[in-house]
Amino acid sequence: MTLRLDPDELAACVSCGLCLPHCPTYRATGEEMLSPRGRIAAMRAVDAGAGIDDAFDRMMQTCVQCRACETACPSAVPFGRLMERTRQELAPRSVPAWQRLGYKALGSHRSLVGLTVLGGAAQRAGLVPHALARRLALPKLPMRQARLVPTGVDVWLFTGCVMDAWQRRVHESSIEVLDALRVGVALPGPGAACCGALHVHAGLHDEAVRLAGRTMGAFPGTAPILVDSAGCGAALKDYGHLLGRAGAAAFSARVFDIHEWIASRADQLPPAIDGAPRRRIAIQDPCHLRHVQRADSHVRTVLRPYGELVELADEGRCCGAGGAYSVLQPELAGLIRTQKVAAISAVEADVVASANPGCSMWLGAAGVPIRHPMEIVADAAGLHRRRWRPGRDRKMSRWLASSGKFGSGWKR
Amino acid sequence: MTTAALVRDLGVALAPDRVRAGALELALYERDASMLTGQASVVCFPTSAGEVSAAVRVCRDHGRPFVPRGSGTGLAGGATPLGQVAPVVIVTTKMNKILEVDSEQRFAWVEPGVLNLDLSTAVAHLGLHFAPDPSSQQSCSVGGNVANNSGGPHCLLYGVTSAHVLAMEVVLADGSVVVLGGIDPEPEGLDLRGAFVGSEGTMGIATRIAVRLTPLPPCVATLLADFSTIHDAAAAVTGVIAAGIIPAALEMMDATIVEVVEAYVHAGFPTDAAAVLLVEVDGLRGGVDVCTSDVEAILKAHGAREVRVAADAAERAAWWKGRKSAFGAIARIAPSYYLHDCVIPRTRLVDVLDEVGRIASSRDLVLGNVFHAGDGNLHPLIVFDRRAPGVLEKVHEAGRKIIETCVAAGGSLSGEHGIGIEKREAMDLVFTEVDLEAQKWLRDAFDPEGRCNPEKILPRGGSRCGDISSLPPGAWV
Ligand SMILES: Cc1cc2nc3c(=O)[nH]c(=O)nc-3n(C[C@H](O)[C@H](O)[C@H](O)COP(=O)(O)OP(=O)(O)OC[C@H]3O[C@@H](n4cnc5c(N)ncnc54)[C@H](O)[C@@H]3O)c2cc1C
Ligand code: SF4
Ligand code: SF4
Repeated sequence: MTLRLDPDELAACVSCGLCLPHCPTYRATGEEMLSPRGRIAAMRAVDAGAGIDDAFDRMMQTCVQCRACETACPSAVPFGRLMERTRQELAPRSVPAWQRLGYKALGSHRSLVGLTVLGGAAQRAGLVPHALARRLALPKLPMRQARLVPTGVDVWLFTGCVMDAWQRRVHESSIEVLDALRVGVALPGPGAACCGALHVHAGLHDEAVRLAGRTMGAFPGTAPILVDSAGCGAALKDYGHLLGRAGAAAFSARVFDIHEWIASRADQLPPAIDGAPRRRIAIQDPCHLRHVQRADSHVRTVLRPYGELVELADEGRCCGAGGAYSVLQPELAGLIRTQKVAAISAVEADVVASANPGCSMWLGAAGVPIRHPMEIVADAAGLHRRRWRPGRDRKMSRWLASSGKFGSGWKR
Repeated sequence: MTTAALVRDLGVALAPDRVRAGALELALYERDASMLTGQASVVCFPTSAGEVSAAVRVCRDHGRPFVPRGSGTGLAGGATPLGQVAPVVIVTTKMNKILEVDSEQRFAWVEPGVLNLDLSTAVAHLGLHFAPDPSSQQSCSVGGNVANNSGGPHCLLYGVTSAHVLAMEVVLADGSVVVLGGIDPEPEGLDLRGAFVGSEGTMGIATRIAVRLTPLPPCVATLLADFSTIHDAAAAVTGVIAAGIIPAALEMMDATIVEVVEAYVHAGFPTDAAAVLLVEVDGLRGGVDVCTSDVEAILKAHGAREVRVAADAAERAAWWKGRKSAFGAIARIAPSYYLHDCVIPRTRLVDVLDEVGRIASSRDLVLGNVFHAGDGNLHPLIVFDRRAPGVLEKVHEAGRKIIETCVAAGGSLSGEHGIGIEKREAMDLVFTEVDLEAQKWLRDAFDPEGRCNPEKILPRGGSRCGDISSLPPGAWV
């Protein structure tokens, strides 16, 4: 069995090793087996006929798919593509049934919410074993969340799976910040329940394609689609490649990371509230923002008015969350996180900003005070005051829907 | 004794999970960044000097050679395992702690696996850095720097690694541990530290290294000059040095290199220039200002079309990132390249570059030049696709001609990458038999049984260049 990788893409790696220090698994272990250079050499060996064994499988499954090696590589090796294809070939032997079920649940908003409520109840009743809770790095699961309210039709906000089920407050903040910019936000229907990023990473190509098609259908029209989860944004922007259709490419062109979109309007952001203390904000760059979307500078542009920005000394190395990685490779993920936490502790920040839900849950579980940049902005500019109480907003959204009134009318 | 017994004994000496003999893993350690391949029998990862010593004793008991390895970024096959029997590769990457920093006396004791740039980053808050800055500094280990006596752009002013290593603890081939050199400026006795630096892993494994830390310059100016001929650029280099100015760094890139580098870093390099010079001056503000305008005048007098001074630290960093990524970025033209590392007298730059260019063009080969112009350390790179028929012979021949040209101009084989496997058969071009014999004695004194990184540096007789006829795709010789 071969991986059917593009020989030119493989040949582009000259084994210089310039990627090594940027790779989280190499950093954690110092082993070529867990390095980009080693992984590429192994892919090459398999395609030359070496055969796939457990050692090869482990080399590939231990890759976080952070793509830091891609940014570091001067000869432009498209590592992400090589790894995605490899995972796809490996999926039949490497993704067991229980994992497939998990990926299925992500794709269905209703089962995710159901599981969340169950899980939340179990947590509260003390029924979740300690070891499992640690492994899953779960935050306290919400039993009931305020429903999001659309405010207009200027832009779409991608809602997603885990983010919407567990961190809806981030979406609320995003809507509040956009509202302060006088931008009305439309919300998609249940079709946008999952972008399929984790499926792509796991090599579940067909499921990913199915979810991509469904997601695209949930965003009709031409309005820009803003995404406040770095991993989802990277996935949506890759639909053009995933589906290989002109329509998908056009869809991808409408997708923006929310910070990327706001950065070009940063001069219109509301000022910080008078007298609020200027906090030291450490920036944690989600890999798929920094290495895939290359939108890391925009987070800084958006946050700069609201605090003193502090850079970590590890050049944005991965935290080990990696979508499902922290669950599937807990040991390595733990080692990687330890290094990240050390880098964070070294800068003595008041709060850490992370634009990705996976990173913030994973680091939050290690005690890091972490918030989404949109929450930090909404806090600092005092935008939360405008938030609707959970009991009332259902009525309000019904009213909005019936009156056809969007935008500025709903606030204050 | 069998490899299984070797693995078992190493497992006892270290820990079973840090001793590996799986086929796939061994394959990853059969070469360094050079693609000159060998064969390892076992790979092991010690975490302390004690473990290194124990592993070396096991090798001795089993009659096995061993090869020290840091990050494996060497370009001359130094960490490629060769030997009558397949060697044990002893990897230092898990020995990566900075043990002690003395900011007053300005030195640090570090483990060999500490990465060059990590060390500088870790002491930056004290206003210090580790001055040798190979282009691979983000990835290469201090142990590898010591073994290869590595240089870098800023070594023009600050000196190469040997000027920055005070002492080291070394595990010798019999497993005994010695300390060479010392923190005192002039330790008594023979300079064994000096002998060890640059020994390419053939005299033992450094397990702790005391390095000198250098104050960060208070003020830095970086100039980028573009020229419409390589000739003018080379003459400008000679002009700067002749004026009595030693910049911190003085680097040249030709059009081929500038093009690929710009495609990677987007740093605003002039892609229509025939050659670009990157000059850095540092020191106290007043001196830097004077030097900057002097250098600028000299560059212009030698035909520079434009001289730009980096506006801020970000621009400076982008320029250096470009320069330091050149070796990797070249793969954007073709997937393989053959790199030389000759040093020539600076006064011969112009004619040697001309001749090197002719050697390549007369064979229809693409050649790029990116090098430490200030000290005459050339890095001519022949870029090729090994899948093209007949190309390897041409590359091979051009390589030999380039070495001969440089040596004939009064140059030497290697400025900083080392001899390793790659250039050992060319050693007799620069050394007499007596020289080589003396080198062999020194080596024998450290390692009488020849078990420490065998078949490196000293020639065995045979062909001149590394054997590049049997390389896998992506070969980078
Ligand atoms: C893109 C690129 C750019 C480069 N630029 C430069 C440059 O500007 N200047 C320069 O000088 N070099 C350069 N190099 C070459 C290389 O990076 C240096 O030689 C570096 O010092 C090697 O370090 P390493 O840790 O990778 O050593 P390795 O490649 O692992 O080993 C190199 C040699 O050192 C020995 N060794 C390693 N550790 C020890 C130890 N603890 N004790 C004893 N022996 C040991 C090995 O046996 C081997 O012979 C470059 C390489 C690349 C890929
Ligand atoms: S992936 Fe790129 S940076 Fe890493 S070894 Fe290969 S060529 Fe070098
Ligand atoms: S994607 Fe990340 S984890 Fe995987 S090889 Fe590249 S740097 Fe390492």
